[in-house]
Parts: sequence; structure tokens; C-alpha cells
Amino acid sequence: MDSELVLILSYIAVPLVFTLGFPVSSWAIGRWYQSRLMNVLNVQEKQQSAAIGGQLTGSTSNKMTSLTAQSSVLLHTSIVVGPSIGQMFFMWIKSIFGGQLHSYDIVTQYGRREVVRRLQEQATQLGCSSIVNLRIETSTISFAKNKESKTSSLEFLAYATGIRN
Amino acid sequence: MVSSLGLVTGSTVRAKHIGKDIFAGLKNIVGGELKAYTELLNESRNEALQRMMVDANSRGANAIVNVRFATSNVAAGASELFCYGTAVVIQ
Repeated sequence: MDSELVLILSYIAVPLVFTLGFPVSSWAIGRWYQSRLMNVLNVQEKQQSAAIGGQLTGSTSNKMTSLTAQSSVLLHTSIVVGPSIGQMFFMWIKSIFGGQLHSYDIVTQYGRREVVRRLQEQATQLGCSSIVNLRIETSTISFAKNKESKTSSLEFLAYATGIRN
Repeated sequence: MVSSLGLVTGSTVRAKHIGKDIFAGLKNIVGGELKAYTELLNESRNEALQRMMVDANSRGANAIVNVRFATSNVAAGASELFCYGTAVVIQ
């Protein structure tokens, strides 16, 4: 009787562990890895903003008279980021109930900040003193040939005009 | 600015390479940046820019202003990178 119960339980438990083990571990690894990336980004952003000194100007509707440009250059950088497979699996479950998808929040936040940081890096490499008219675009990239696949990643593109003076 | 020569465009459609795809799939276990795709998209965007410049040169322009980029999924597994701007002649 006792061994029969164990057998029945193992029939339920073993497939459950096998099917849930991979998404759970992927979710955990993804969380850990992305928080580490975020920490690195925070440090780099601080260093860079100290070096540049807040010379980032967004879109303006008025004619800017304070800037005098010798020459200008088009800057563009892009980054492709994606959540891990486990995170996508849990987001799929969460999307039944709706609400905030925290994993995607992290991914989009990281992507946007990193792409702007790289743009600033490129600007300093090309000898620009300020960046104007910055735009950020988002698009999705799907991996698989079939549409059923849930694997997809996001591309962030930042482009701006670098001013040398 | 002497004269405006109208809209110039450049585009490329890129599909990715199966080797890179497998790597990206492996990277998807942890998430984060997919470097293979970042590189691929950067080099194709440079090509789109090149084509736009060739278009502008053939019209006799010496500068392009107001450049915009757009990305779209034309087919599953392929994306189109498109850039457009206004070709002008400046002094």
C-alpha cells in the first residue's frame, strides 16, 4: 500500500519537476544575471555623467542660440536585449491575470539606458562636445520561423546629432 | 542652405544566419544582451546609411539633414532597416 502511494506520487512529481525545473532555474539565473548587468550599468552611467558633465540636450522646438557648431556628425547605436526563457514562461502565465510584467520592465529599462550610455560613449570617441535631437526607437525581433514561438527580443536604437565645437 | 533636393532613402533586408541564431538561442537562457544580433543590426544599418548617401550623391547633394531610422519585420526571421532624410545642397 505504502509503495503504491510512492509510485503514484512519483508518477505525478517527476514529470512536474522536469517540466517546471527548467523554467524556474532559467528564471532565477535570468534575474541574477540581469540585476548584475544593472549594477554594472549604474556604475558606468555615474562615471560617464561625471566625465561629460550633463551635456545632453533633447529635442527642442525653439531655435538654439547658445550652441555654436563647427561640424556635426550622425551618431547611432543599437542594442538587442531579451528576457530569459523562464521569465518569458512566467510572464505568459502572468498575462492570464494581467498586471505589471516586472521582468519586461527590467529588460526595457536596461536596454534604453544602456543604448543612451553607448551613444554618449560614441560621442566622446568622435570628439563631440554635445548631443542634440536624441531619438530612441523600439522594435521587436522574432527568432523563429513559425509565429507560435514565444521567444522574442527587443531592439533599441538611439540616434542623435553630435556637435563638435 | 542653397536648395533642397527631396527625400532620399536607403534600406536593407537582413535575415540572420543559422549559427548566430543558435548562439542567440543559447544566450536566451539567461537573457540580457544578444551581442550577435547587435552586431548584425549595426552593420546592416551602416549599409542602409551607405545606400542613402549614394542616392544623395547621385542627385548632386552634399549633405543630408533630418535623418530618421525605422525598423520593421517584413517576414518571420527577417527585418528591414530603413533610413530616410532630406538631401540638400549647402555652402
